[in-house]
Amino acid sequence: MVKVIKTERRVLKSMPSFFKDRKPKKKRPQGDENQTTDHQIERIQVSLSGNLNMIEQKTGNSSDVVIREIKMGGDSDIKTAIVYVEGIVDNQSIQEYLLQSMMKDDHKEVINQQNAIDLLSKDIMTIGNISPITNFDDLFASLMAGDTLILVDGVDQALSASTKGGEKRSIAESTTQMVVRGPKGAFTESLGTNTAMVRRIIKTPDLWMESLKVGRVTKTDVTLMYIHGIANDKVVKEIRQRLHRIDIDSILESGYIEQLIEDQTLTPFPTMYNTERPDVVAGNLLEGRIAIFVDGTPFVLIAPAIFMQFFQSAEDYYARFDIATSIRLLRIFMFMISLIAPATYVAVTTFHQEMVPTMLIVAIAAQRESVPFPAFVEAVLMEITFEILREAGIRLPKAIGSAVSIVGALVIGQAAVQASIVSPAMVIIVSITAIASFATPSFDMAISARLIRFLFMIGAATFGFYGIILCLLMMVVHLCSLRSFGVPYMAPFAPFIPVNNGDTVVRLPWWTLRQRPRLITANTVREGTNQYPHPPASRGMVNRDFEEGDNNEA
Amino acid sequence: MKRKGVFLLLMMTMTLLLTSCWSKKELTDLAIVSAMGIDETKDGRFHITLQIINPGNVAGGMQGGGGSQSPPITIYSASGDNIVEASRRASGRISRRLYYAHTNLVVVGERLARKEGLNTLIDGLDRDPEFRNTSTLVIAKNSTAADLVKTLTPVDKIPANKVLKTLEFTERKWGENVKTSLQEVMKSIESPGRGAVVSGFRLVGNPQQAQKLDNLQESAPAATLRASGIAVLKKGKLVDWLYGKPARGTVWILDKIQGTDINIDWAGKKEAIAYQTVRQKTSVSAQVKNGKPHISVHTRAEGDIGDMEVPVDITDPKVITKIEQSLRKEIKKELRVAIERAQKNKTDILGFGEVVHRTRPNQFKKLKTEWNDVYFPKLDVDITVEAYVRRAGLRNKSFLSGVKENQK
Repeated sequence: MVKVIKTERRVLKSMPSFFKDRKPKKKRPQGDENQTTDHQIERIQVSLSGNLNMIEQKTGNSSDVVIREIKMGGDSDIKTAIVYVEGIVDNQSIQEYLLQSMMKDDHKEVINQQNAIDLLSKDIMTIGNISPITNFDDLFASLMAGDTLILVDGVDQALSASTKGGEKRSIAESTTQMVVRGPKGAFTESLGTNTAMVRRIIKTPDLWMESLKVGRVTKTDVTLMYIHGIANDKVVKEIRQRLHRIDIDSILESGYIEQLIEDQTLTPFPTMYNTERPDVVAGNLLEGRIAIFVDGTPFVLIAPAIFMQFFQSAEDYYARFDIATSIRLLRIFMFMISLIAPATYVAVTTFHQEMVPTMLIVAIAAQRESVPFPAFVEAVLMEITFEILREAGIRLPKAIGSAVSIVGALVIGQAAVQASIVSPAMVIIVSITAIASFATPSFDMAISARLIRFLFMIGAATFGFYGIILCLLMMVVHLCSLRSFGVPYMAPFAPFIPVNNGDTVVRLPWWTLRQRPRLITANTVREGTNQYPHPPASRGMVNRDFEEGDNNEA
Repeated sequence: MKRKGVFLLLMMTMTLLLTSCWSKKELTDLAIVSAMGIDETKDGRFHITLQIINPGNVAGGMQGGGGSQSPPITIYSASGDNIVEASRRASGRISRRLYYAHTNLVVVGERLARKEGLNTLIDGLDRDPEFRNTSTLVIAKNSTAADLVKTLTPVDKIPANKVLKTLEFTERKWGENVKTSLQEVMKSIESPGRGAVVSGFRLVGNPQQAQKLDNLQESAPAATLRASGIAVLKKGKLVDWLYGKPARGTVWILDKIQGTDINIDWAGKKEAIAYQTVRQKTSVSAQVKNGKPHISVHTRAEGDIGDMEVPVDITDPKVITKIEQSLRKEIKKELRVAIERAQKNKTDILGFGEVVHRTRPNQFKKLKTEWNDVYFPKLDVDITVEAYVRRAGLRNKSFLSGVKENQK
């Protein structure tokens, strides 16, 4: 164990610039991690009743823990018991492969206490994965994970048969990242299903997975997935180490993990990407990124993430490049609108009236004539009203949801204007901002723009356009200072990497994107040379030699 | 150390906030000035008339009334020894801050332009950070600037806009007026040996009637504004008005015309064929021989036949050539008239001095001081004109030809 710490220290020292923000902090004793801290390892007893008592006591006699005692052997003298938790096991396999084979077994004559465990695992049980257990920690871990335990009287060992199962949601269409073209299936809450969905896309033995349990109480399965040879080993090591460091009682969603392992916490911008689409995960793995699957949530984390990634949609890569490029440009434009549209309105109406054509400023002035508030207050009022409406719309049950939109449309669309609380121009600005922020493909990025928008409005209200530019500069500086697992957030703009700019604000055709992002991957060669499609040379017009008398009519 | 840093940061943030929004001006606190009229009072002071937009009455579609109850503009006036003083003094009469960034029109009264000239008032306008140098300068002909600014206009609700658009389109379509900005006037007054041209505007009708909304209730308003002539400024002072052919010739030589209409005589009938120019280009070049400057003006016009009152067979190329020849004569006549008029005024409004300056900078230095009074009036000017008929509208042979033949 000491050796492990040492090697990790050495790794950290060897890449000080790469993981700039990580200082080697004092290490907690390794033994503590992911383990119950308050009792020492307890071995399984010899007596069956003692063991069963122990299980009952530890689980507090919970009603869903099923203990079924069976007598085996020729004289029914071998007392065995089957223990499982109802609901998280596959009832059918317990019945067919465990109970049936144990009760109607053909080894009645041979079996005795000494060879019972051996026989059970080797000859009797017709189930996939069986492992022997010697202590109670493992016993409870596998019991709670959905395995079935087989205990035999007189043996200080138990068998754990893999019978994980129970009800789970079937694969459905993605609800958060919809595409017109592309695979429809989204991840589910079941980790096994999710990893399998990716495995089904990337059929290489180099697709490696590492599993660990995180959460002292919940013991949530977390799986790290990457493609060996494409992912950067240093990043893999770093993520692994950060995951091991987590000591928390519960992991209920991948958001927990994200917040516990991200580089920079004081930022509105997301430094890890999350998705519920298997094709997005596969695409990112193939660029050298690492996916973190968490059991119980369809949202898979992807690290390292860069800024431009949040403006990419899966469909960009399926559509032809000209379409994809123009749509991506549109998205960036919309992101800017959602950031600065209200701020611009405030700046124009309170500082820079000279920059607007006369007739337009007269039109805006006419609308503002009856509004009692300064433009800034008006803008904040409307933006907050809209945020309230949006939040209400999301939380409400579907049946009442439409009522919110009706009330909202009336309140901010019509009544507020007629009551001279806001001007119609402001309503237009708010609607455009709202629509623009909905159009950002990543919800996390849109939500951070929502937050920063208010900062921009304050900047505009105090300094006009100068304030907006100031805020913009601060934002860019901040973005440039961010890192996601050692990779600069603004890559490939800062640092500027010309080759990797083909897939940023533009999306060049696939045959030009020969390299994977250089800062992320360990192996940059994505495709062979000369991938430009070469159709056979044109044959020109089809010339038939018409014979005399032939006619050319159809 | 850390606490000190936080303190410093706090201080810096505080100073930021303490500045407050000093240049902030809410739209509802602004009186948007659309036009400014400048006159001279009897005791020689400046009298300014401000045309302020009532936004609600211009764009007031909101309340459904349409804003016909009250005028789209309100007039305030004040006087002072200079424009700044007058403008500041006006604040006692207006509930809002005067905002000059949208003042696109400056009207100067004819009396002021003749007596004082524009030189004294331009600096104040030029220096002001809000005031635009691109705003158009106009001289009120036969009236005070105040009367012109006060006039309400139909169609374009803001009178300043009406004046600007009128100038813009008439310059392009007819060519007897020019639209000159403050900047252009400044430049030409400044430039050695050059007179300036400014468009004139005139109030037709009763000034009292012109200010009333009743005036707009009629289909043919009794009092209207009309572009009228070109004012010739010598050393900033108004010396002459140009109308008709000399005016158009001047605009032509200044190369500002885009399209106009020229009539020529044909087959004994006066003004029988109308020719509309589509594009024209005038270039002026200069030579100096033996210390004597010599100017050549070259004009090339292309256009269509717009109308003919006598039957002409334009399918015949010879006829076209003949038409073109008489067009050349006609245009040349106009240009000649314009040049002679300018020479009579001893004011080089055509920018010939500048051309000489450009081609022979050293020699012009000697001519500079006496250019307007000695050299310009005696200048030899060569005029060459090319005119081409490119199209004949939708018709080749006029229906008049048919009428003529059948009556034989």
